[in-house]
Amino acid sequence: MFVRRLPKFDYHTPASLPEALKLLSAHGKDAKLLAGGTDLILAMKQHTVAPGHLINLKTIPGLSGIKADAKGLTIGALTTMAEIEGSTIIKETYTPLWDAACVMASPQVRTLATIGGNLVSAVPSADTAPPLMVLSAQAHITGPAGERTCPVEALFAGPSACSIAPGDVVTRITIPLPAGKGAYLKLMRRAALDLALVGVAAYVNLDAKNVCTDVKIALGAVAPTPIRATAAEAALLGKVLTEETAAQVGKVAGTECRPITDVRASQEYRCSMVEVLTKRALLQAMNRAAQGGKK
Amino acid sequence: MAEYEVVGKPVERTDGRVKATGKARYAGDLVAPGMLHGKILRSPHAHAKILNIDTSKASKLPGVMAVITGKDFPGIPFGTRPDTRDQIPMPITKVHHFGEGVAAVAAIDEDTADAALDLITVEYEELPVVLTAEDALAPGAPLVNEFCKSNVAYTSDFVFGDPEEGFKQSDYIKEETFSSQRVAVGFIEPHACLAEVDATGRVLLQGSKQSPYPTWRHMCRALDLPLSKMRLVTPFVGGAFSGKHDPFDVDFAAVKLAQITNRPVKIVLNYDEVLAAYRQRNAMNATLKMGLKKNGKIMALKAECVLEGGPIAGIGPFNIYFFGAWLNLPYKVPAIEYHGKLVYSNRAPCGTVRGQEIVLAQYAVDSMIGIVAEDLGIDQVEIRAINAATDNWTTANGIVIDVSGLPECIEKSAQTIGWKESRKARPKGRGIGFSCASHPSGVRLGGHFGSSVLLKLQEDGKVILTHGGTEIGQGCNTVFCQMAAEVLGIPFEDVIQGPSDSDTAILDSGMFSDRCTFWDGNATIAAANDLKRQLAEIAAQELKVDPKELEFKKGNIYIKSNPEKGMNLLKAVRIAYYDLGTPLYGRGYWAATDIDLVDWKTGRGNLAHGIDFIATAIEMDVDRETGQVRLIRAAHGDDAGQPIHPVMLEGQVNGGSAHMTGHALMEDSLYDEKGRMLNFSWRDYKQPTALDVPEYIVDHVHTHDPYGPFGAKGAGEASSCSSLAAIANGVYDAVGVRIKDLPITAEKILAELKKKEGK
Amino acid sequence: MIPLTLTVNGVTYTINVEPNRTLVDVLRDVLGLTGTKKSCNEGECGACTVLMDDKPVASCLVLAVDADKKSITTIEGLAMGEDLHPLQVAFVRNGGIQCGYCTPGMIMSAKALLDHNPDPTPLQVRTALVGNLCRCTGYQQIVDSVIAAAKAMRK
Repeated sequence: MFVRRLPKFDYHTPASLPEALKLLSAHGKDAKLLAGGTDLILAMKQHTVAPGHLINLKTIPGLSGIKADAKGLTIGALTTMAEIEGSTIIKETYTPLWDAACVMASPQVRTLATIGGNLVSAVPSADTAPPLMVLSAQAHITGPAGERTCPVEALFAGPSACSIAPGDVVTRITIPLPAGKGAYLKLMRRAALDLALVGVAAYVNLDAKNVCTDVKIALGAVAPTPIRATAAEAALLGKVLTEETAAQVGKVAGTECRPITDVRASQEYRCSMVEVLTKRALLQAMNRAAQGGKK
Repeated sequence: MAEYEVVGKPVERTDGRVKATGKARYAGDLVAPGMLHGKILRSPHAHAKILNIDTSKASKLPGVMAVITGKDFPGIPFGTRPDTRDQIPMPITKVHHFGEGVAAVAAIDEDTADAALDLITVEYEELPVVLTAEDALAPGAPLVNEFCKSNVAYTSDFVFGDPEEGFKQSDYIKEETFSSQRVAVGFIEPHACLAEVDATGRVLLQGSKQSPYPTWRHMCRALDLPLSKMRLVTPFVGGAFSGKHDPFDVDFAAVKLAQITNRPVKIVLNYDEVLAAYRQRNAMNATLKMGLKKNGKIMALKAECVLEGGPIAGIGPFNIYFFGAWLNLPYKVPAIEYHGKLVYSNRAPCGTVRGQEIVLAQYAVDSMIGIVAEDLGIDQVEIRAINAATDNWTTANGIVIDVSGLPECIEKSAQTIGWKESRKARPKGRGIGFSCASHPSGVRLGGHFGSSVLLKLQEDGKVILTHGGTEIGQGCNTVFCQMAAEVLGIPFEDVIQGPSDSDTAILDSGMFSDRCTFWDGNATIAAANDLKRQLAEIAAQELKVDPKELEFKKGNIYIKSNPEKGMNLLKAVRIAYYDLGTPLYGRGYWAATDIDLVDWKTGRGNLAHGIDFIATAIEMDVDRETGQVRLIRAAHGDDAGQPIHPVMLEGQVNGGSAHMTGHALMEDSLYDEKGRMLNFSWRDYKQPTALDVPEYIVDHVHTHDPYGPFGAKGAGEASSCSSLAAIANGVYDAVGVRIKDLPITAEKILAELKKKEGK
Repeated sequence: MIPLTLTVNGVTYTINVEPNRTLVDVLRDVLGLTGTKKSCNEGECGACTVLMDDKPVASCLVLAVDADKKSITTIEGLAMGEDLHPLQVAFVRNGGIQCGYCTPGMIMSAKALLDHNPDPTPLQVRTALVGNLCRCTGYQQIVDSVIAAAKAMRK
C-alpha cells in the first residue's frame, strides 16, 4: 500500500556485458537489471518487486553515449534522458525524441532515467516510445542466444510487460537518418512533472508542395501499448498537409486509440485529445520542416 | 504614515541563514541516545470493526522493542470542544477511515520496524461505508463515530436582518449551487516527532506541530497525564497550513512507545501516508440565493451548506459556523439567513486549511457575484466596488470593521491587471477573473486564547524573545523581533529568537486564523513596553528626570525635550545587572477580551479585530481544444494594515494564491466506492509546480488598524480566500464556461464547451 | 556490506553500507548531513535533490552503492565557512525561504541551472525548478531569488 523500506538484495557490478548475462542467467527471475533505477527502486520500495539480486549495468563501459554518422544515430541504452535533452544532434535532427526528453519527469529524475529503462518499463505512457516509433528506431538486444534487433514497438507486449526474455539486455537504439521532421506532444494534468495522459508523436516528409511523401504517427498512453495510428497515416500519405488535412487526420487517429478511464483522465477525453494532439503534432512537424529548409 | 526604524523594513529573516545552509533542524533530523524508530500499521479498510490484533509475531522479531495498539491508551476521548470529544489516540473497536493507524512498532532501526509491520495480523469485519454527505444523512445510515449517536456532528443556523424583506426589495434574485472537493493540506515536510520520557515520567515531545497548545492539552487528556508532565519543544516546522495543530497517532504512538520502552522513539512518516490518512479540507456543498437591486447592490443572502469532514468533528464545529459567519464579508450584506451542517464520514479526518472556511464561502459568494454581474450587465469591478465593506462598518452578525482598504484594493488590482484595456480588446481564449476576500486577524474562541511574550534582556544588551507559538514558515519569529527592536529602539540584530519551549514560554492557542502578527505582536509590544518601563526608571534616576520624559531610539535613552541629554541603553542594562543586581524581564500579553466570544448558538459576535482585505485579479488563457488553463498574471491589492516586513508579506499573499491554484485546477483526493483512497501519492495527487502558477504582483494598500501592532493586520490567509473564485470567474471570462464544482479540470471545461457548441 | 568511496562536499568518505540503503539515507543518517530532506521517497517532490557529479539527482532513488566514486554536493557544501553562496544570500534576502523544508533541494536545483545557464529567464528558472515542490511561497520569490543570484554571480 505505502512506500516501505527497500528489501535486502545482493548487489553486482559486472565489468562486461558477458559477465552481466552470466549473472542474469544464473539468477533468472530473481535478478533485475539496474539502469537509472527511477522505476525499479520505486517498485522495490512499494514491494511490488523484490529481486534477490540487482545487477548494475552502469559499471559496464560502452552502453551509454550518442554517436551520429551519415547513416543515422546510435544511442546506448544507458544514455540518460538528461544527456538526450542536452544533445544538439538529437535536438536538431531527431527532434521528437528531444521533445520527449524535455517533458519527461523533472531534471533530477532525467539525470538518472535512461532511454533503455524507459522502454523496458513498457508502460503504455513511456515518453520515448512514440518518438522512437515514428523515427523507425530499432532496439538492439543481446542475450544468451546472441544478438538480435527489433523495432522499438516490439518491446511492448502489454502494460508493464516487456517482450524481451529475462536473460536479455537491450544494449542500444539505432535510428536511421530522417529525411523529414517530427514532433512529440504530451498532455498532462499540470504544466510539467506528470505521466502522459496522451502522448502523440508525428513525423512527416514533405515535398516542395507540402505533399506528404512519408508519414508516421504514434500514440502513447491510449492503448495497452504505444501504437501506430496506421489509418491516420494512410489518410495523410500522398496528400497536402494543411491545417484542414491535419484536423481530418487527427479525427482518424482519434478513432484508432483504445484508452481506459482511470484516476488521471476519462476515455472520452483521451480520445478527443488524441485528435487534437495529432493535428497539432503534424502542424508542428510541418512548421519545423518549413524552418529547416527542404532537401 | 509613520516612519519606523525596523518595522516596515525588509530585514533579514531570523531563520533565513540556518534554513539556507541546511542547518535548521526539523523533527525528522533530531536524534537522541538510544533512540528507537517507530512505524505505523494502517487499515486497508475505510470502515470496519477491529475483531482482533495479534502482535505476538511482531514482538518476537529481533530488534523490536514494543508493539502497541489503541488498547494501550487510557481510552479517554478528546476533542476541540467539550461537547465534541470524539477522538481517541488510536482506534480500539473499529477503524474509521482508510489508512487509519491501528498498531505501532518501535525497533532498533527503520528496516526492522518496517519488517515488523508485516508480522502484525489484524482481523477486520468490514462495515458499510459512509462516503459522502448524502450517505451520512440518508435515513438508516451507519453511524461513523462511536462517541456520537448521529452522523450530524454539528450545526450552525442564524438569521440577521430581515432576509425575507430583502428578497422582496430585490430587483433580481439568483440561486446557485457550488461544491468543492476533498483536498490535502500539502505542506512539504511529513509528520514526524521524537518522544522521550525522563526518570520522573515527564514526557518531552519534539514534533512537527503547528500549535503546541492544542497538542499539549489534548495529549495530556488522552494520555491521562497532568499538564505539568509534558513538555513540548518545537523544532522548525516544514509548513503546516493548519494541517498540524492536533496531535496525531504519530505523536501519541511515539509517546506511548517511549513510555513502554523507556527509550526515545522517533516516528517519521512518508508522504504517501500523509496524503492517505491525515488532515484534508472538508468537502462542501452549498446553495446560495442572492438578491440584488438592479444597480448591483446586495439586498439579501440565503445560504445552506453541508460540510463533510471525515470521522472526527475536530475543528469542524468552528468551520461550519465560520462558513456562514464570513458570508457577511467582504461585501455589505444587510440581511442573511444561514443553515449549516457538519457531517461525519469514512474519509480522511478534516481540520481546516489555509484560509479556513472562508476559502469555500468566498468561492461561492464571489462566483455568484460574477454570475449576477453578468446577468445584470454590470462591470465585474464595479459591482464589487459597489458592495465593498468600508471603514467603520458593522456586519449584520456584529463583526466590526474598523478600517477597510478594500475599495482601494479593488482599484489597484484592476489597474495592475489591465482590466479596462482588456474590455476593449483581448486575444481569443484570454480572460480575467476577479474576487475579493477578507480574513480576521485571529478570532477569539473560548478558553485560553491569549498570547504572551517574554523578553529577556541580557547584560550584553541583547534581547532573547520567546513566544508561545511556532515558526512554521510564516515569518512570525522575525516579525516579533522587529517589533521588540522598534519599541526598545535597538538594532534588529540585537533581538534574538529564543526556543519554542513550553517550559519557558506561555503557550498561546496556536498559529492559525492569521492571529500571530496581531495577537503575539501586541503581546510583544506589551512586553517591550514592560522592559522600557524598567529601563526608564533606571535611566530617569541617572538623568534626573521623570521616566515619562524619556525616549528610546538607536540604542539610546534620551530626554524628549532635550535630545542631547541621554545615555546608552546598554549602560542602563549594566546598572541593572551590576549595580542593582536586578535582572531585566519584559512580560506582555494580549487577549482581545474586548471582542466578543463567539456565540455558537446565535452566530452573533464581533469575533475579531483587524479584518484584512484583498482584491485579486487573475489573467489566464484557456485552450478551447484541450480545456487546459494557463495562468499568466495575478494582481493582488492587499490591505494588511501596516506591513511589518514587506517582502515576507508578499510571500504570504503569493503563497496562499498559489496553494489555492491547486485546489481550483488540479487537486482532488479521490476515493473508490469502498472509501479506499486512490491517489495517495504525489504521483497522482498533483500540487502546483513552478510552471503552474502565474507571475504574482502585490500592491500594498497601506492602512492603519487601530488595534493592530503598529497598525498591522494579519496577512497570511486573505489571498487563499480570493483565488478560487478569481480563477472560476476568469475561466468564464475566457471561454464562457462556468464550473461550479471544484476542481475546474480541463476535462470539465472541454465538456462544457462541447455542450455549448451543441456537440 | 559493500565498501563505498563517496566524496561529499569535497570530503572523501570510505564506509561500508548495505546495498539497500539509498543515498539520501546514507547522507543523513551515516554522514550526519541532515540538510538534505526526505518527504515522498518517490522522486516526485525534489526535497532530496543533491548534485551528483554536478548534475541534480533525486537522492531517494539512488542506491548509495551506485554513487561509489562519485562526487556529491549537498546544501552543506555551498557556503565557504561564514560566507554564504550567492544563491543562499539571494534566497535569504528575496523571500525565497519560508518554512525552509524545500529550500535545500530548491537551491541545489538552482545551482545546477546557474552552473549551466548563468543568465536564465524567469521561464527557464521555473522550468529548471519544476521538480521541486513548494507550498509556502507560490514560487515567485524563489524565481526572484535565483534571478538575483544569477545577477550577483555574473559580476
